[in-house]
Amino acid sequence: MRERSKSLWLIASSREVIKVSRREIVICIGCPMGCRVTVTLGKDGSVTTLKGAECRQGQKYVLNELKNPLRTLTATVRTVDEDFPLLPVRSSRPVPKTLLQPIMRETARIRIKTPVQAGDVVARNVQGSKADLLATTDWSGPGGEG
Amino acid sequence: MVSKVDVAVIGAGPAGLAAAISARERGAERVIIIERAERLGGLLPQCVHNGFGLLYFEKDMTGPEYEKAFVDKANSLKVEFMLETMVIDLNEEGMLTVVNRQQGYKKIKPGAIVLAMGCRERPRGALGIPGERPAGIFTAGTCQRFVNVEGFMPGSRYVVLGSGDIGMIMARRLTLEGAKVEAVVEIMPWPGGLIRNEVQCLHDFGIRLLLEHTITFIHGKRRIKGVTVAKVDRDLRPIKGTERFFPCDCLLISAGLIPENELSKKAGIELDLVTGGPVVDQNRQTSVPGIFAGGNVVQVHDLVDWVSWEAELAGAAAASYADKGKIKRADQIRMVAGENIKYVVPQYISGKDDVTLHLRVSRPGLRANLKVGNILSKRFRSVRPSEMIILDIKAEKLRDARTLKELVVDCKLEGGD
Repeated sequence: MRERSKSLWLIASSREVIKVSRREIVICIGCPMGCRVTVTLGKDGSVTTLKGAECRQGQKYVLNELKNPLRTLTATVRTVDEDFPLLPVRSSRPVPKTLLQPIMRETARIRIKTPVQAGDVVARNVQGSKADLLATTDWSGPGGEG
Repeated sequence: MVSKVDVAVIGAGPAGLAAAISARERGAERVIIIERAERLGGLLPQCVHNGFGLLYFEKDMTGPEYEKAFVDKANSLKVEFMLETMVIDLNEEGMLTVVNRQQGYKKIKPGAIVLAMGCRERPRGALGIPGERPAGIFTAGTCQRFVNVEGFMPGSRYVVLGSGDIGMIMARRLTLEGAKVEAVVEIMPWPGGLIRNEVQCLHDFGIRLLLEHTITFIHGKRRIKGVTVAKVDRDLRPIKGTERFFPCDCLLISAGLIPENELSKKAGIELDLVTGGPVVDQNRQTSVPGIFAGGNVVQVHDLVDWVSWEAELAGAAAASYADKGKIKRADQIRMVAGENIKYVVPQYISGKDDVTLHLRVSRPGLRANLKVGNILSKRFRSVRPSEMIILDIKAEKLRDARTLKELVVDCKLEGGD
């Protein structure tokens, strides 16, 4: 029961759902089929009907998308090296969609000054998402070979 | 002076790296990759987004991570590299002419060659858009290099022409970097890239996708000021009265990729007019014996995983060619693109071995029935030109077809468009 009320809260707290509140169309990305799934929601934000998903996995995906859509964030952060000005990074786990822009603003302030290897943590727990930003390539430091 | 190597690979992108690794693993002693850029990886370093390696490594990787996995392996197998080296000629005998700063002009006669030159973006000039000739028009991949590698934004307000994957990925990237993407304009009734990119790059950020629209005029004397966009009819002609003006300071073009085959032409290799790449058999041998090809130089793939897969085939075959001095041509059966099929690769198969076909449909639709001659039929709930179909055929299925000269592949749509 508690689990259920929590998920309802998440649905209700997602800004986009409130905006459309009665009907949501979610395109499933599970396979090339790309089902357009129509979901209707009750006043309390609970799912009343779900139409158009060809498979169970699609239904699961759509419910997750409505509850708490997650995305892996990839970006770059600045280094102090003119010849290698940007270090590519990724989030260590998918983060809520609503945090993408706030995390980008945080990455804009980062400057990398010392050598890093792919997988090294560049920033911890960005915007309280519990995800770290990880370097996705090696950088041998300023004046190095990149 | 002519140097001797077993297998020479042209291009150090994902295809070249995979081909070289595979050639070494199949026993080729000296494998050398010739690359014109100053570093390895081809386009991978600038593809900072994820979605790579899902099939090959069963892991969601970014471009740089995927690249590192292959570069590390190539290094551990002692693949040799010639960087900042341009192949300026390739002839029918498989003689390469290369130039670089250290060695100047040099000829190489390898035991076998793998073409892994990848592809190029279709530029503005190839599209014939009317209008001015201002600054601020880039291909999506060029912009990707500026933003992800060199570290500057070429503009702040964008329109993207074409909905190829790179265009959609750049629309997201630019939005995340604080720019405004006014619209992605696609002339066809369906998007040019993968569904996951349409959803995660456009829908996620509320970026407009205008299907059945095209740019009819580019405005701006020195710098681009905006574009006129119009709806098109069924024959893809702009409809009068539907024009709209979109202000922008940058126009990105993501209107298709073209396999790069200037060298293949010099060697007299037969090209497929539809794929734009060499006609190959199932071992990825081209019409010139000893010259193999794999990756986007053969056909433009959706996923890098398949680029690596195809290049591995080419690399392995090149290694055995270099070893034995020949390899049996697998050209007994010609694969023919029939109804609603744009192309089939490989164009030739032996009919004796298991084979994997790569093909694309011409039109999208629901409930499709794909048929390979009368030896195989497979149902698909949905087919789209932007999603390549991969079809495995077992050798025993081909047994009946062995007496045939050709096999026609059809894809009938039963559910309509």
